Amino acid sequence: MRRSSGVVVSLSTAMGLPAMAANEGLQLCVFDSRRGHQEGQELDKILFFFPSDFPYSVQLSVVGLSEGIITFTRIFSPDAACEVIEEERHSHVFYQAEPDIWMVMIAEKNKDNESDWRCDALIDVLKEAHSLFTMFNDSLQALLDKQPSGELARSRLYTFINDYLSDFYVGKKIQVPSFRDCLKERRTVQMLTVSREVAIEVQSLATVIGISSLGSIACKSLILFQDLLVATTLSPGDTANMFTYAVLRSSPEEYHRGSHDSSMGEQSNRYHMPRPLQRDNWSKGKDGFLVCDNQLNVGGLVYLAPVVWLQESEEHMYLCIYQHRSLTIIVLIPVCSQTDGEQGIALVKKQLLENASEKIVHVEEKLSRGWGGENAYHVSGYRYLLVDTDKSISRTSPPGKVMTLAKDSLFTLNKLREAIDLEKTRANREKPDHEKYLEVCIRAKNNSWIIAKVTQGRELYMVIERANETLLYASDAVEKFSDRYCDGAFSLD
Amino acid sequence: MDSDDTITDPKPNHPEPSLDAEPGTVEQMGSLTLGEAGDVAGAERPAGNGFLPADFYAAAGEIEVMEEGSPVSGDLAGPSSFGSPGACRESSGRGDALPSPSSSGYAGERGSSGGSSEIDEAEDRETMLDDWSRGKRHPDEDDGSVSWRKRKKHFFILSNSGKPIYSRYGDEHKLAGFSATLQAIISFVENSGDCLKFIRAGNHQVVFLVKVPIYLVCISCTEEPYEALKRQLELIYGQMLLILTKSVNRCFEKNPKYDMTPLLRGTDAVFSSLIHAFSCNPATILNAYTCLPLAYSTRQAASAILQVVADSGVLFALLMCKNKVVSLVGTQKASLHPDDMLLLSNFIMSSESFRTSESFSPICLPRYNPMVFLYAYVHFLDVDTYLTLLTASSDSFYHLKDCRIRVETVLVKSNVLSEVQRSMLDGGLRVEDLPLDSSLRSRSIYLDQYVSSEFSSPISSSSQQKRLFRAYEKLYASMHDNGTGPHKTQFRRDEDFVLLCWITQDFELYAAFDPLADKAHAIKTCNRVCQWVRDLENEIFLFGANPFSW
Repeated sequence: MRRSSGVVVSLSTAMGLPAMAANEGLQLCVFDSRRGHQEGQELDKILFFFPSDFPYSVQLSVVGLSEGIITFTRIFSPDAACEVIEEERHSHVFYQAEPDIWMVMIAEKNKDNESDWRCDALIDVLKEAHSLFTMFNDSLQALLDKQPSGELARSRLYTFINDYLSDFYVGKKIQVPSFRDCLKERRTVQMLTVSREVAIEVQSLATVIGISSLGSIACKSLILFQDLLVATTLSPGDTANMFTYAVLRSSPEEYHRGSHDSSMGEQSNRYHMPRPLQRDNWSKGKDGFLVCDNQLNVGGLVYLAPVVWLQESEEHMYLCIYQHRSLTIIVLIPVCSQTDGEQGIALVKKQLLENASEKIVHVEEKLSRGWGGENAYHVSGYRYLLVDTDKSISRTSPPGKVMTLAKDSLFTLNKLREAIDLEKTRANREKPDHEKYLEVCIRAKNNSWIIAKVTQGRELYMVIERANETLLYASDAVEKFSDRYCDGAFSLD
Repeated sequence: MDSDDTITDPKPNHPEPSLDAEPGTVEQMGSLTLGEAGDVAGAERPAGNGFLPADFYAAAGEIEVMEEGSPVSGDLAGPSSFGSPGACRESSGRGDALPSPSSSGYAGERGSSGGSSEIDEAEDRETMLDDWSRGKRHPDEDDGSVSWRKRKKHFFILSNSGKPIYSRYGDEHKLAGFSATLQAIISFVENSGDCLKFIRAGNHQVVFLVKVPIYLVCISCTEEPYEALKRQLELIYGQMLLILTKSVNRCFEKNPKYDMTPLLRGTDAVFSSLIHAFSCNPATILNAYTCLPLAYSTRQAASAILQVVADSGVLFALLMCKNKVVSLVGTQKASLHPDDMLLLSNFIMSSESFRTSESFSPICLPRYNPMVFLYAYVHFLDVDTYLTLLTASSDSFYHLKDCRIRVETVLVKSNVLSEVQRSMLDGGLRVEDLPLDSSLRSRSIYLDQYVSSEFSSPISSSSQQKRLFRAYEKLYASMHDNGTGPHKTQFRRDEDFVLLCWITQDFELYAAFDPLADKAHAIKTCNRVCQWVRDLENEIFLFGANPFSW
């Protein structure tokens, strides 16, 4: 009869298996819903599971429940399958990364009340992991097509996601984004604001980088100062991806940090796995370009820069990173016959150094001089997050300042954001072309003002503490902020 | 259908009523419910009972409108409180600015979602009005029907062995397979030592409530918050207990595969009308009841005669007009939980048999004591007004009948009944009556009571009313967040409304305006509403009834 019978099948596959271990903390699973349909072959579904030492029976039980619920929810919601399962002690979030590929994260709620999170923030972790994976490895589907046994996909996922997750460790435990991160927006770019004069110089630098001597081939580039974006010639989505990677692994602070985990060495060597997310992957060469350690001596192969796949522009590009003091320049060279092999890349690099060195030094100096330090974007009295969803850009109060907020203020904002996430996604689904408008001002129990405004593709979230004032005062404060820092985007009229 | 019989006479296989409603048990239940669902600022409720606190008057005077730029004098959420917990709902007095149907919620939902459009509850409104008073809707559907899958809001009750007990749409027996699926999902999670709260998929939310051996599930795409849907499931569970008591659990202990549907046969109308109330009766959101507006002396007269019969061994004497209370008297310290009043009046109003003659029916008040049956003597004094006398003794029919005759005589003689009818004809509070151009809804935490304006122009169509109702529902849930609430103030502006909520120790005020209303105007209006409620409090609140002891 109905689809519901499929649910029972999935669940019964998983039934009778041992309950999950009590303190699993976090589980992350990637599975392919087309695989493993024959009895006894169920494990073939699973492409990745963290922690990898979990008994197969538990892994199967996670996949069984996930598949069961996906089938079940499609009865009522055929176009949008399951996104969240909320239990007393766990949150499961789902991301359909590719038509048949699902990523599921299960986060355990701990008792100290620190585990209040936004499900969308957890889903963003999955989205980010998948985007980065695809950027360096191609889509999972492509890998599975290349090698139907799934071994290639599994081994790539294994090293990549484990490297990715290493950033979430606090001590020995993985900590997923919680309510304390409610003034952050993952998968967005943080920009450095520069004067007009500097902007023109940066622009001219970007132009020089773009022109290569290899005929008509145009390179693309991102220019970062510290971990802020200064200029990009990529589309917003590709920029956000590349920016995320740069901040994670190639900004000057990052590659000096060094490794703390090489437990996966064995497996990755077996497959000669590139590990772009490994901590000690990059080191600075004599010419100022970063070298990808891991790929230098693999099986005596000729060194090539890593290739990345840009999802929006649908291009394969060589990734070269040049660094001068606080300035990071990411140069992307199209993969084609002229650039194939070491020579092409070397040529482009050489040319860059010849044509742009002076400009680079000059721009770095100017930016350093104008740089206001880590509290450059602090606005006294406010703790804020500003998001331009159309351009994938965000700006926030410095983390050190956000830390001064009371737990309850962050808690309340987190809840408010969760509610707004729901409204936004619903509005997007029902009226994709319609610009959502929403304004919420809450005076919380601890007397802080928790404020959210959504308008014309922009979002503003704000906490104002120690403001024992009226609603009108609070909205006035928002108005002032909006006029001064957001071109009046959130002001009335 | 044998609905009438089933409702008024306990079936032979009904669990045995036990009459152990000792005060001790009552108190215990009170504290239990607080932990479970008493999220309505229960903890902050000031002890004491009865009248609005003195600072209601003092504070109300202090609330001034802030004009732009004026000094900080009208702190909306200041420490001073203003009186009764009011959910003051105001809706858009400046009618012209109301959003067009196309831009607005429910109407828009239908229009815009094209092929996958859900079947709106409003779609079959005409049949519905009949249906929810009569019983099952669309009994021919099952989970194979496209129409069934597209219903906007399903409710299911099932046993933990997967036996269907109730489904809002479709025939329970045809839904056995679906029910087993729900059971499999819930049990799977239970077996892992956890408990399902909800599943979200696109616009749909599946909300679970586990009351072993009973499972309740709501599947909805109505955009209502989880907390609201969970509360609705709690109420449905309460309604089931009201009919059966919790001792029905024993049947499942004896036989896990026990088929409970016969016990609820004929009660479809009761559940349908409760579910209908979820989109129009503020009591379902607010944890409070409302009174029929009456002159103070009239209500006093009614209370006096109810007190006399209460003293003669009646547990509760309750005079109501539709879902509004005229007067309520309980013996000694006993108090009625607003949810029990809601479920009881829903049960009485939706069961045709009560209207035709005097009835003596076993019922259970789940918040009072979910384990025992009480006996309700119910008599309709006119088409909308009914007297309910509750007792623990199964053989007091004739005594209660005598009591009713005495009450009725006094009510007729003292013109209370005609006053009640007149008030009913007046049609409740309307924003037009306010000294301003908006509409209102208000709730008193302190008294477990709320006052609310009726929907009026421009909120005239039922879909507009439902949209406004759900906006309040969302606002309430947001203000009473489990972890961080209750908040003090909330201002919210979206494409449909401006909403303002204000919670103090004593009252809550919820107000809605048209989306273009400015803040100062909204605040000013709320202050005037508070003043107005204060002026009218003797007519719109019932004083002297014991608030539920939390």
